Amino acid sequence: MQIQPILAALRRHKAGTLLIALQIALTLAIVCNALFIIHQRLSHLSEPSGVDEANLFVIENFWGVQYSTQEASSEIKADLAALRQLPAVEDAAPSNSYPLRGGGWDNFISLTPEQIKPTTDASVYISDESLIHTLGVKLIAGRDFTPDEVRDMGTRENIHPPVVIVSKAMADKLFPDGNALGKPLYSMSAEPTVIIGIVERLQREEVNTWSAPFVNQSLIWPMRQAIPIGLYYIVRAKPGQLAAAMQEAPKALYGRNRMRIIDSHDGLLSFAQVRQRAYNRDRGMAVLLGIICVVLLAITGAGIVGLTSFWVGQRRKQIGVRRALGATHRDILHYFLTENLLISLGGIAVGVLLTFGLNLWLVTRFELRVMPLAYVLSGVVILLLLGQGAVFAPALRASRVSPVEATRPV
Amino acid sequence: MLKMTHLSKVYRTEVVETYALRDFNIDVKEGEFVAVTGPSGSGKTTFLTIAGLLETFTGGEYHLDGVEVSHLDDNARSRIRNEKIGFIFQAFNLIPDLNVFDNVEVPLRYRGMKAPERKQRIMDALERVGLASRAKHYPAELSGGQQQRVAIARALAGSPRLLLADEPTGNLDTQMARGVLELLEEIHREGATIVMVTHDPELAARAQRNVHIIDGQVVDLAEDPRFHTAYAAAAGQVRG
Repeated sequence: MQIQPILAALRRHKAGTLLIALQIALTLAIVCNALFIIHQRLSHLSEPSGVDEANLFVIENFWGVQYSTQEASSEIKADLAALRQLPAVEDAAPSNSYPLRGGGWDNFISLTPEQIKPTTDASVYISDESLIHTLGVKLIAGRDFTPDEVRDMGTRENIHPPVVIVSKAMADKLFPDGNALGKPLYSMSAEPTVIIGIVERLQREEVNTWSAPFVNQSLIWPMRQAIPIGLYYIVRAKPGQLAAAMQEAPKALYGRNRMRIIDSHDGLLSFAQVRQRAYNRDRGMAVLLGIICVVLLAITGAGIVGLTSFWVGQRRKQIGVRRALGATHRDILHYFLTENLLISLGGIAVGVLLTFGLNLWLVTRFELRVMPLAYVLSGVVILLLLGQGAVFAPALRASRVSPVEATRPV
Repeated sequence: MLKMTHLSKVYRTEVVETYALRDFNIDVKEGEFVAVTGPSGSGKTTFLTIAGLLETFTGGEYHLDGVEVSHLDDNARSRIRNEKIGFIFQAFNLIPDLNVFDNVEVPLRYRGMKAPERKQRIMDALERVGLASRAKHYPAELSGGQQQRVAIARALAGSPRLLLADEPTGNLDTQMARGVLELLEEIHREGATIVMVTHDPELAARAQRNVHIIDGQVVDLAEDPRFHTAYAAAAGQVRG
């Protein structure tokens, strides 16, 4: 190896060497962090929601009349009955929201009424005894609500439901020893709410980075959202009849009572569309960051090709002299590959520090997670391969310089 | 040591063939100091590049140290250049990015020599040319004569069987040229075979034997009319 003379020669070309090393360092820092963010974003996309997504759809129903709580409750019951009568429909439930909606009702949960700092946070679904069956979630402990436990929730109602069904993630968070059933929790009231059932998985409404650590923490309160604005109907089609059910359902609702608005664009969504919309930003961000990474790597590669080509052209005579003094094609090829390796390693050493620095800044500024070492190692391997790949063509050209160049005038 | 028989070198383009060397014959014995002279464009440099295995030839035979070299591949030619031949170029051809020590080290590294032996040989060679104290200097920090001495040290460090010098004093003033020539003579007295291309008659006169090339062929000066024509032309240029 000729590391020492190569380093000595590089010291005489500081500007080009430092620029390319700096470019490699910045590329490493940006690519590693971008890959980490992409992976985080993409890992959400495949997160199971816990519901029967293949057969579910959602209707956003706005009332066209200012109903009282009692009137709204009656309308909801009548709508549900109409939906359940449709041949393609398995079941239907009223709700204030649904998983992956992108936002909704979110409550702090405590284990004691006097607790100042809450234990955790949960997505709140407000529905009746039909929600669990409609969503297709699995009740793994306890029982479902009974019809008489379900109350009507008007605009100014005081909310302190005596019973609640929680997701397993929620139960485990509140009671890590595993005996959550029958235990009380406190939310929005000093009155206890007793856990009567636990479902296996029920994803939250939000899909943002902030909620990622408690993505499956949710609870269901036995209440019917009988408010003047409106509500969501979650409908489960019979297997293979989703399209038919989605076609029939709005007609059935309008047929029963025309005083409502179901938006033609957003009012009727299959769960596949819900998932698509929920992760659109994540997907877009991943694609954008991916493009940035590719462009950045391409620019760095092109920079290496450009600089090496320039150096090969500049040192043509010198290469000829080396060949005249006994260097083989392979010696010249190795010279340029080693030279690039040394520059790359210098850039990578700085780049690793920059990578962790940038990650630390993202962690403190945007609550990103700490990057595992594997990402840095992957970035290092990518940059080294890129450098060696980029330098190969000009190095090969250099190796083909004839030794007779040594005798030619500059 | 160096024997070329009926050797030819032809440069071909789509429309024309140019003979740089034609039916070229030369035999340099071991330990000889031969000066190769001739007018510009006569083929001196082509002869030197072929002799130094920097270029291939078109026809004929070339035996270097008893080995017929026409069928050798590039790696074998590189190895012979590295182990058997020392080059001294008119333009010194030192690597400007490397200091004197590293420049002399270049051929030794390609030989795969261990560091302690390399160091010993480099310092011996630099001592010999009187530049041991300048080992850490860069070529740009040396005079032309000193640079050529470094180039000679680089050529000597590998203990070559043959030294090929291309106008070794061409870029030097008279005093520096004299110093370099005395060094070459000293090296020759110690047993080295030297082939030196020059157009300087004074320099050529210091060699043991002169070989004259005109139009790509070795000629006998006394008998060849082309020499007289070339001589007259050269003399005219000097007068003009």
